[in-house]
Amino acid sequence: MKLDPRTKLFMIFVVSIIVMMSATTPLLWAIRLAITLIPILLLVFEKKYAVALRFLLAYGTALVLTLFFLSSESEGIVSSLLIGYCGIVVQFMPALITAWYVVRTTKIGEFMSCMQKMHVPDGIAVSLAVVMRFFPTIKEEYSSINDAMRMRGVMLGGGNVIKMVEFRMIPLLFSCVNIGEELSAAAITRGLGGDVKRSSVVELRLGAADYLLMTLLAAATVIFVVFKYFL
Amino acid sequence: MSIVELENINFQYRGSKDGSLVNVNLNIEEGQTVLLCGASGSGKTSIIRLINGLIPHYYSGELAGEVTVAGHDIKQTELHELAGTVGTVFQNPRSQFFSVDTDGEIVFGPENIGLEPKEIKSRMNDVVAEMNLDEILGRSIFDLSGGQKQRIACASVAALLPKIILLDEPSSNLDFDSIELLRGIITEWKRQGKTIVISEHRLWYLKDVADRVIYVENGRLAKEWSGEEFTSLKEDEVKKYKLRPIVLEEELIRQIRGDAASSVCEIQSAIELKDFYFSYKRRPYLLVKKKFKESDGDLLNLNIPELKLPQGKVIGLVGPNGTGKSTFLRCLCGLEGDCKGRIVSDGVTYKGRQRLKICYMVMQDVNHQLFTDSVKSEVMLSMKEEDDKRCDELLNRLGLIEYKDIHPMALSGGQKQRVAIASALASDAKILLFDEPTSGLDYSHMEKVAELLQQLANAGATVIVSTHDPELISECCDFVLGLKHGKVVYLKDNKRER
Repeated sequence: MKLDPRTKLFMIFVVSIIVMMSATTPLLWAIRLAITLIPILLLVFEKKYAVALRFLLAYGTALVLTLFFLSSESEGIVSSLLIGYCGIVVQFMPALITAWYVVRTTKIGEFMSCMQKMHVPDGIAVSLAVVMRFFPTIKEEYSSINDAMRMRGVMLGGGNVIKMVEFRMIPLLFSCVNIGEELSAAAITRGLGGDVKRSSVVELRLGAADYLLMTLLAAATVIFVVFKYFL
Repeated sequence: MSIVELENINFQYRGSKDGSLVNVNLNIEEGQTVLLCGASGSGKTSIIRLINGLIPHYYSGELAGEVTVAGHDIKQTELHELAGTVGTVFQNPRSQFFSVDTDGEIVFGPENIGLEPKEIKSRMNDVVAEMNLDEILGRSIFDLSGGQKQRIACASVAALLPKIILLDEPSSNLDFDSIELLRGIITEWKRQGKTIVISEHRLWYLKDVADRVIYVENGRLAKEWSGEEFTSLKEDEVKKYKLRPIVLEEELIRQIRGDAASSVCEIQSAIELKDFYFSYKRRPYLLVKKKFKESDGDLLNLNIPELKLPQGKVIGLVGPNGTGKSTFLRCLCGLEGDCKGRIVSDGVTYKGRQRLKICYMVMQDVNHQLFTDSVKSEVMLSMKEEDDKRCDELLNRLGLIEYKDIHPMALSGGQKQRVAIASALASDAKILLFDEPTSGLDYSHMEKVAELLQQLANAGATVIVSTHDPELISECCDFVLGLKHGKVVYLKDNKRER
């Protein structure tokens, strides 16, 4: 299924808002769960079964634990750790997984075209696009640095937490700065940053799926807010 | 009228003497193909950057003299105005792509200069047909091989229809077949009448392409040959200029492509490898991963049931891109945990993580494996027990003692490589692995690496070096190990006169 980037952006927005606001009644919980299921369904449509399943498991476990086994009266180290873990999973994972889905399924060209349609200035659009492009680069660099650390047996920085972070961050920063510099040189020689209005080969059109999803998301937000604050 | 004119150029980068230019005068006629050769840091890249305007607009420094490119006075011209006139293919494929997908990359330039979508699409179709890119359209740039990336880079430059095309060491990361493809692209551009300037260390693939060859030395244009003169240069003359060979021997070409007949020679005092199987295509699993076996056949990216490697020798690992050379190295040193291979050395068997203790890989990008703030502490970090004397000894051996207290990131590429080797030796690794240590190096640097590898082997280490570099193989490899589709095709003695 092909969604318009505008729909995807709207989805990130709605999922983040609804998941961040605490649900207090069964109805609110239902809406929140339904909203969380949307990105999972989309992942399934994209054939990312493993990711969807793992997320579902993690989220399900955390949710069951929070709802049935943990309460504000829980005591002890284990349960406080669990509260922390579950809290993070339940609150942030849905937004994260949505963002992951969007980054993975949106081509840079589509994104730029979408930004143009929304009349976002080229400067901002280009910077955001570079950020999107940089995720896989960072991942690649980070994993080679990790390999190097394993090879030298310094994964734990000799038991020193600061060293552990330092060993990872310093080479990563160096190589990202270098790549960034070369990347912008290459982009400028291909005409980025001129006063000409950029054009775009990607033609975006909102389809039935887009309208349906946007309506659903908007309705869910309205119901959620109304029931939480006004009733 | 010349299309590129450099008049009395003097240039120095801010804060660095490397790559500065002295009294450079160069006129290039429209339609000429010019090859710039010479040592690293001699100023080849600076000339390229002058023509595409990155000097002085992006890399700042002191510039005197006049640069005129296709009628534009470079000093007064904004960089983006040159986009449709000058196109540049850079050395490093990982940092010249703006998009994540191949299609987006090709149209990126034309979109920037605001062409009509219709026009962009027709240009894209032309370029794709011209360079046979159909099969790599619609893919993620991150999944492409080095050669495929470089072809996309060429295509995205060509889509802007520039009159002048610059290439800055474009073959550095390519295997033999990809270089042949690159030669084809350059020849086609030449036929179309484009003006081409190439800075390059590897010369053999350009010998019938270049009209003029210019030798750059310490920022001066020291010597110029016509294409024919250059092709007929004698071997010792080429050596005198510290250039890489212009003609490759057939034998070397076959070797570098991993094309020789299948044979494995007998070996005394060997390191034995057993059960090295690995695949990147993991079958979906939920909780327990499945072990890779020989019977997985074609699924495997690495399939070596048994192999004996000569101990204390330099072994060149060859084969086309994407054939499993890097995979082999990664599995051998235990970085791929899913590969359950065993190494038997001196009667001791090393499995799993133990492999990490006797192997050490010097990565292609050494920057990834230097962590501390001085050369000395870098070596100390690898030692089980810190030993000042041994550290000094090692640094002395590798000629690094004077840089003992310097930050590794402030060193040159070759020095960084030696720091990594020093820390490998400090960790008592018996098997040293090198992943393409000489890609993008000039002849004299390559010679130094070759010498160093020989020294390491003489001191008792087993050195395995994956490479596309025919000269490195003939300089220093005692044995050559050919891989194809993850399988060992041959292992043979590399006869050399020394």
